[in-house]
Amino acid sequence: MTAVKTTETAAPAGDLPPALPPAATGGAPRRRRRGSAFDRALPYLLLAPALIAILWLIGWPVVSVFVTSFRQLNLGELVRGEIVWTGIDNYVTVLQDERFWDVSLRTVVFTIAVVGASVGMGLGIALLMRVLTPWVRIALQIAMLCAWAMPILASTTVYQWMFDQNYGILNKTLVQLGFDSFAGYSWFSSGTSTLSVVGLLIIWQAIPFLAFSLYAGLVGIPRDLYEAAGIDGATGWQTFRAVTWPEIKSLLMMVTFLSTLWDFKVFAQIWVFREGGPSGESTTLPVLQYLEGIAKSHFGVAAAISVLMMVILGLITFQYLRKLLQTEEGKI
Amino acid sequence: MKGWRGLAVGAAALAVAVSGCGTSTNSGSTTETKEITVWLMDGSAPTTLTDALNKEFEQANGIKVKYEVQKWTGIQEKLTTALASSTPPDVIELGNTQTASFADQGTLADLTADAGQFNGGEWLGGLKDSLTLNGKQYGVPFYAANRTVIYRTDLLQAAGVAKPPTSRAEWIDAINKLKAANASNPDFQALYLPGQSWYFLLSLIWDEGGDIAKLDNGKWTGTLDTPQAKAGFEAYKALYDASAAKKVPADIDEAKPQQMEVFGTGNVGMMVGLPWELGGAVKAKPDLADKTSAFPIPSKKAGSAAPVFLGGSNLAIPASSKNAAAAKKYLALLSSKNYQDQLAAGGAVPGTSKDTSKLASNAIGKAMADSSPNGKVTPVTPKWAAVEAGQNPLKDALTAYLTGAKSLDQATKDASDAITKAMA
Repeated sequence: MTAVKTTETAAPAGDLPPALPPAATGGAPRRRRRGSAFDRALPYLLLAPALIAILWLIGWPVVSVFVTSFRQLNLGELVRGEIVWTGIDNYVTVLQDERFWDVSLRTVVFTIAVVGASVGMGLGIALLMRVLTPWVRIALQIAMLCAWAMPILASTTVYQWMFDQNYGILNKTLVQLGFDSFAGYSWFSSGTSTLSVVGLLIIWQAIPFLAFSLYAGLVGIPRDLYEAAGIDGATGWQTFRAVTWPEIKSLLMMVTFLSTLWDFKVFAQIWVFREGGPSGESTTLPVLQYLEGIAKSHFGVAAAISVLMMVILGLITFQYLRKLLQTEEGKI
Repeated sequence: MKGWRGLAVGAAALAVAVSGCGTSTNSGSTTETKEITVWLMDGSAPTTLTDALNKEFEQANGIKVKYEVQKWTGIQEKLTTALASSTPPDVIELGNTQTASFADQGTLADLTADAGQFNGGEWLGGLKDSLTLNGKQYGVPFYAANRTVIYRTDLLQAAGVAKPPTSRAEWIDAINKLKAANASNPDFQALYLPGQSWYFLLSLIWDEGGDIAKLDNGKWTGTLDTPQAKAGFEAYKALYDASAAKKVPADIDEAKPQQMEVFGTGNVGMMVGLPWELGGAVKAKPDLADKTSAFPIPSKKAGSAAPVFLGGSNLAIPASSKNAAAAKKYLALLSSKNYQDQLAAGGAVPGTSKDTSKLASNAIGKAMADSSPNGKVTPVTPKWAAVEAGQNPLKDALTAYLTGAKSLDQATKDASDAITKAMA
């Protein structure tokens, strides 16, 4: 319809006689038949700027990463603007490095753990919000908004202070409670422990978005469904299974998918805590990519890691992507 | 699709950088220079020196100087990005351990032919080596400095330590006395020693006769797992264990937090540091000026100083600079005796003047001058920069050993292997 209207307003400017008032013309098919090639192209032309911007901003970098992964691009080549093709050498280098496989496995496990915990707790809070009295709910929502609004590096710094070995409030509190072994306890002495703290931070940062999204979905479920379930004598769990779950399943899948993408590529928090240490034990794929690309200036190798990251991410989210495509074809 | 975009955004910067430099390779532009950008590092040259220098340069040449001070943390990454841009700075300061890798990648202008106008005959040997690659010079020595033990004269006196220690055993003894005298202060650090102070570890390793790596037939092999190097690690642990009742965490280095800031709190008796770090502490707490002095890092052999890491900086002109001619004039002015003397007076070994008489005028300068003949450097190879820039194996080994996560043998072996691999 938009296109048709545009044709109408464009018409007086052209060489068509302005004799026919819009009301006098027939249905849409007639008008379209009368339109010139320009008229037919117009919708596409109007879309073109946005399309070009999207392709330039999103498509080109992806292509560029892919192309770069087949080049030898170190600092020297970068500064001189040389193009040196190396075929699949970068991939061979990365895949032959046993560290890459350790780091990949660690990244996948970390992502699954963090996504599982954050979505689970987000859902829990969303369900809780529905049954809270308005004042408590508003207080909870404000608190979550504050947590959400906090810049990543600011909250990461606060977490570092909290978990500080000598002066952190956590260790001090634990000692006060009688756990003397936590005096001077280092939370960053192993990779698992470091990633647990980082994971906790990421979950804390992610919950507001998840809880608000899921709460919005829950609010949309008609009340009479619950009334019907109540009349049928369903327990709380049964109501959740039979009424709530089917209604928010697709929303839950979407936020899980988004969380997976976000948590898989978390870099800032991990780097700020211990730069992937101790002894590289909290290094995940984005950190490895940074080390290769920025610290060692091997941009080609880093690009190869990026491409492999996309492949891994594609594998993790394969099921969801498949369902997403099916939905668009109208199968669900 | 968000994730794809996220991944792509990281590459976008790269893509832009690549396309940017594709058009900027012709650096021999003839347009008149109106302004040059100079990047010097935090703590390098005193502000009085740079103010005077920039003013003199601007008046003599009619070219404005855009002077920017950079922080050491993350400088390698920042330089990489800056050098790849179409408008790089025209004068940069590089750590002496980084210079070889930047020169090797062809990112620095060859200054061999111009050495004459930079006082080439009086260059400091250790720094000259660090900027020479295949017989060509890719920079100008700026200044060198080495670590000394900076201490509080009042606290040592109060603890009954009459004169500065001259052997490692005496030093540990002094630390213990300091600790005992200040036992009432739970936050007191007799020696502020974070677990990852790896430049200081090098001193101890060299003092024990070990080294980081050795060169055989053009191939570097890590040697941190030799008995001598292990003895260096053990010495570090002995000092670390003695340093304080509440020790500094084993997984931080001297830059996070800046140890000078900690020293400035007044809860620290000694620290192993550079002159500019004391300068920073004094700036924060001016009354420290009269209560501080320094002695060379003591050797295990009584009466002599331990070898020290000769830290320092070189000045270089990026190969892609469009204002190379003006930048050379700037370097020539900075290499002149007047400014080199000011550097020495500020507490650094000047890079282009052999006259260090101004240096010995204060205590810390004297301590530095006493140990600088023993100055050593990290392996001179383009690959070394990558060891320092990423996850430094020496720091990892120290943390793992000090926390007990790994045995000494395991920690040193892992570090040695990592260094061999990084320099292959």
